[in-house]
Amino acid sequence: GVRFASTTASLRTETEVDTSENEVVAPNFTNRNPRNLEQMALARKERGWKTTWPKREFWHRLRLERTQHYVEAFVERSNGDVVVSASTREWAIKRHLYSPKGVAACRNLGRVISQRCLEAGINFVNFKAIIPWEHRCDSIQEFEKAVKEGGVVLHEPRRIYR
Amino acid sequence: MAAPLLSAALRGARGGRSFGTAAVLWKRAAPLGPMPNEDVDVGNLEELQRYRSFARYLRQVERAGREPRWWNTYRKHSDPPAEPQTDIGLPRERLSRAEELKERKRILRENRQNAEMERAARLRTVLIPLDEVRAEWERTSGPFHKQRVAKHCGVFRDLFKGATFTPWVALRVQYSQEDEHLVPVYYGNMVTPSEASSPPAVSYEADKGSLWTLLLTNPDGHLRDADSEYLHWLVTNIPGSDIKAGKEMCHYLPPFPAMGTGYHRFIFLLFKQHSPIDFSQDARPTPCYSLKMRTFSTFDFYRKHKDAMTPAGLAFFQCQWDSSVTSTFHQLLNMREPVFEFVRPPPYHPPQVKFPRHQPLRYLDRYRDTQEPTYGIY
Repeated sequence: GVRFASTTASLRTETEVDTSENEVVAPNFTNRNPRNLEQMALARKERGWKTTWPKREFWHRLRLERTQHYVEAFVERSNGDVVVSASTREWAIKRHLYSPKGVAACRNLGRVISQRCLEAGINFVNFKAIIPWEHRCDSIQEFEKAVKEGGVVLHEPRRIYR
Repeated sequence: MAAPLLSAALRGARGGRSFGTAAVLWKRAAPLGPMPNEDVDVGNLEELQRYRSFARYLRQVERAGREPRWWNTYRKHSDPPAEPQTDIGLPRERLSRAEELKERKRILRENRQNAEMERAARLRTVLIPLDEVRAEWERTSGPFHKQRVAKHCGVFRDLFKGATFTPWVALRVQYSQEDEHLVPVYYGNMVTPSEASSPPAVSYEADKGSLWTLLLTNPDGHLRDADSEYLHWLVTNIPGSDIKAGKEMCHYLPPFPAMGTGYHRFIFLLFKQHSPIDFSQDARPTPCYSLKMRTFSTFDFYRKHKDAMTPAGLAFFQCQWDSSVTSTFHQLLNMREPVFEFVRPPPYHPPQVKFPRHQPLRYLDRYRDTQEPTYGIY
């Protein structure tokens, strides 16, 4: 009877009060996500450093460091901060390898780092910081092939200027 | 004399306005630290160790470039020095390191004596099992890597105002689709709003009798205030790892990143409770589609309950607009969909000079308020 009508009336007013303020939206929107601009290809790349090598015109760069005893791969930003890294020094990788250096280690390291990059949302990576005559080495070629097969693209998209 | 005196420049700090000037460099004084290459003994060059290869030189150069210097560098100017961060996470449970090392050395010795492994490494056919590597990584260096990625995505800066924690508990979040396909959420991967339209399957390792709280927040999507977040899901007092048995304080709302705003972070936080907590103040009504009620601040929420819970798990994904967001705005939130456009910051031009040297005629266009170009008009 009356009670039923009043309950339905109060429910309706509740939902009206609830969502009527949703329409009020500020004209300027600020997105605090530091990865937003680079994922939309709008962020600045450091275009200077043209007289030195390696250049810093990238958002993320893949750097392979081969030492006498281990192989390490880092994905870092132009200011030097390492975002994702993988190394044969880690127990998780070391236990499955016969030797933590060499071509087989580089290849498996490539597979691992491409998996970690995709998990971290880094799909494009700059791989220009290799010395040209070392680029022809078997280990670096296998590493590059493994990273490409893992799904990470080895060149970054061009920044959108207009 | 146009050149300011050194004493005048230094006096500026005391009274009156000071100004930046290179006058300090015109006076010869001792350097404020060691000069580079000071430690190299130029007397007997024959005894110096040579690089012998470019790779070794490059590695040293990269390492030296990362070191802090006493002179002003671009790195000091662009990234301010990091303040010491407070750790709000669980303490680390260190098992016996000696036993761990002994076990690892034994395994490595067995590997080196294994002829098959040696043959596979020599013929370059060895392929390590990636899922086992990932499982071991989650137990050993995973928490540190996740903390590092989260720091670079600004999670700690925006949610906890700089205080960090190491996510010791591995949080596995998976969105299931209609065709039995699973979309996992790791630390920063891309998930579309249509994939995230229903609550995900969350699992983690938990002892029996422990209580947990799960929170899904979006620090980037607030349509009115840039510093607050939107609460998408809050489940409290979860016994063990059974999410369904926990008390749902705020029901799941699918992500709604507005068109044109780019990528938003959606962060899953898992808190470990030391005792049952009363969350009645944070309870939202069951169909809560009011953005005002969903406005949330993780910092205030955590500060209120910080004595009884600590953050233990972290997972986040990046999300961009797609067509299902339109239906979320129209049907669930009952509002018109906002559409934004990216506005570039105005280009920087140095202060205008009366007699510019070696500048083209369009120099004047840069400082005029109206749009009257002096080139391209003929």
